Amino acid sequence: MLNLSRRALLIAKRDYLVSVRSKSFLFGLIVFPVLFGGSLLGVAILKAKPDLRDRHVALIDRTGKLADFVVQAAAAKSAKEMFEKTTGVQISPRYIVEPVAPEPGDPNLQRLALSNRVRQGELFAFIDIGASQNAVGRSESVEGGPAKASIACYTNAGAIDKLQAWLSGAVNDAIKTQRLAEAGIDRNRVPAMLAVAPVDNLDLLTRDATTGAIHEPVKRDQLAVFIVPFGAMMLLMMIVMVGCAPMMAAVTEDKSQRIVEMLLGVATPHDLMMGKVLAGVARSLTSSVLYVTVGTVALIALQVSGAAPLSLLPWFYVYLVAEVTMLCALSVGLGAACNSPQEAQNLMLLVLAPIMVPVFLMLPVLDRPNGPLAIALSLFPPFTPMLMVLRQAMPGGVPLWQLWVGLLGVIACSLVGVWAASRIFRVAILMQGQPPRLADIVRWAVKG
Amino acid sequence: MAAVEIASVTKTFGSVTAVDNLTLTVPDGSVYGFIGPNGSGKTTTMRMIVNIFYPDSGSIRVLGRQMTSARSEHIGYLPEERGLYRNMAVKPLLEFYGELRGGRSVSAEVDRWLERLGLAEWSSHKVQALSKGMTQRVQFIAAVVPEPKLLILDEPFSGLDPVNAEVLRDAILDLRRRGATVILSTHDMRVAETMCDSIFMIFRGRKVLDGTLESIQARYGNDTIRVSAEGGAAVMRGLPGVEDVRDLGQVQELRLSRGCDTQQVLRALVSRTRITSFSVTKPSLHDIFVRIAGAPAAEAASA
Repeated sequence: MLNLSRRALLIAKRDYLVSVRSKSFLFGLIVFPVLFGGSLLGVAILKAKPDLRDRHVALIDRTGKLADFVVQAAAAKSAKEMFEKTTGVQISPRYIVEPVAPEPGDPNLQRLALSNRVRQGELFAFIDIGASQNAVGRSESVEGGPAKASIACYTNAGAIDKLQAWLSGAVNDAIKTQRLAEAGIDRNRVPAMLAVAPVDNLDLLTRDATTGAIHEPVKRDQLAVFIVPFGAMMLLMMIVMVGCAPMMAAVTEDKSQRIVEMLLGVATPHDLMMGKVLAGVARSLTSSVLYVTVGTVALIALQVSGAAPLSLLPWFYVYLVAEVTMLCALSVGLGAACNSPQEAQNLMLLVLAPIMVPVFLMLPVLDRPNGPLAIALSLFPPFTPMLMVLRQAMPGGVPLWQLWVGLLGVIACSLVGVWAASRIFRVAILMQGQPPRLADIVRWAVKG
Repeated sequence: MAAVEIASVTKTFGSVTAVDNLTLTVPDGSVYGFIGPNGSGKTTTMRMIVNIFYPDSGSIRVLGRQMTSARSEHIGYLPEERGLYRNMAVKPLLEFYGELRGGRSVSAEVDRWLERLGLAEWSSHKVQALSKGMTQRVQFIAAVVPEPKLLILDEPFSGLDPVNAEVLRDAILDLRRRGATVILSTHDMRVAETMCDSIFMIFRGRKVLDGTLESIQARYGNDTIRVSAEGGAAVMRGLPGVEDVRDLGQVQELRLSRGCDTQQVLRALVSRTRITSFSVTKPSLHDIFVRIAGAPAAEAASA
């Protein structure tokens, strides 16, 4: 099924050389990392240059007891965090809480006025604390306010702004202090009593096979737990995309420009298809040399090379070749069924599904990499390459039997994919006129 | 030995029977013309010979053996629908096709053919820079390098000007002189009459003619008069014994009914007009083609 004849190799050589010399290949080679790297760079730049404008927050304290605590907490936070200690450079905005007396009558009128001040940029946000917030263990709704929120923060800022999180903490600290005072407990003793005992996340212990010594467990950091698996999966996705993305449109173009019949006069449809698949694999491997080299150099430059297990690389390449073979065959088969690049575009989703769906499933797999869901999903052949690489790159890795079972599944799926695509290709490549229907494509794949 | 032996071959596409129980033998070293209206099954037959389509039933032997892809190194194929990689330069493109078919370097042969067909100075140009005539010549070279034992040409002269057509015609006949068997399809009956040793006509998937031009014409006898006269076709209509008048402009062809006396027709014509030429002849291939394919088409049009 995957036998490579002399003609298939010759077709692969031509397609490969033409594509890697094209501007679109070089452009794609650069665009993917620029898009991914650019977004990371953007986040880094935004983090390095935070918005340092003062944050003015109005506070309506209907209890009459909490405002002073919050104002002091804001002043203390600004004094502590606003400037870098050694250089004196401002690194964080000043938090300024302005108490506002509650106005009689409809509270929404006052809230509307404050909302307008937020819209005009005078305020960053305003907080409305209900009258009974100091009652221990209870809270009551602010009259006319949201049904379930007795402390409400009104703002038009982004959901992940740090100030909102801090405000919530500061108001709650004030409430707790008030409640402790009402309960007759010395507030100054509480922090020490409730101090958090830090828990270190460590890797499992291992025994050296030769010396028998037990290795000291390594502390798990965020780089190893999230960034490395995420990066490995994204790297695989980029490389697969470079090989597969142009394939379907290229086959459709060959068909619409009537190039295929001349080739079929000298090569079998299987030779022609395998040549194109092989060219796709070669294109992916070419891009992988660049991406893997640059990635490795970057990790070494950042002095975090230890976080990326090099033992992952052989499996990474095995899954890469299997994934590209499977998707290129699918692209060639579906491309043959299309009459124009527009029709090919409509079927592109089918080809991209095995690499896009695992990205959407990434969070539950990251959450429990060896849970039943993660194992089941990563042994489903279309998703195996992406999810297995993701799991493998996480601390703890994947049991060896799962790697082999996954690989066997992917190889079987690739063989079936190549076989089905070959049948679709043979029937459809000389057909003109009718747009492809899914029922026809399935029939061609099954019956030939 | 037969270059191609087709035995009881049928090919259907869904509910359409493209080729129906066809049996045909193409002798080695001959030029065989495939004629027939559009959609009659010529291209499907050629694609089955080249192994692009597989027959539903029957068998095809090419160059003495069952057709497989391995045999294609001896077969040159020029499809009706022209298409080449537009971004490739002419010579690398031809070397690619030649190596794909022959499995060896064909650089010298490519140079020779480019020189012969007047394309040597275009060898480093991209295909997209060529005119239509030049592109067709390039595609012809792709079909004949390395030199094939069997050359299959689907409408090789379609769209070519007389000069380019003559160049291609000479090249085809030269290949035949060197031993190649040539199968060509054409809608130009003059090409079929003058180039082909044998002619095969397929109509609605069935073989309706097969043989030399002489044997085909002999089936119809001397039932045609070619006349040139004052008044043209108008004065010839309604003549006794004349079934059909075909106006060719300066000359008219009269088809006679069976048993009609040509002297009677001549006398009737002389009584009507002044005649400048008169000859009794066999029907042309064009006339035979129209008699076969035209009648059902006319019936379909009037229904």
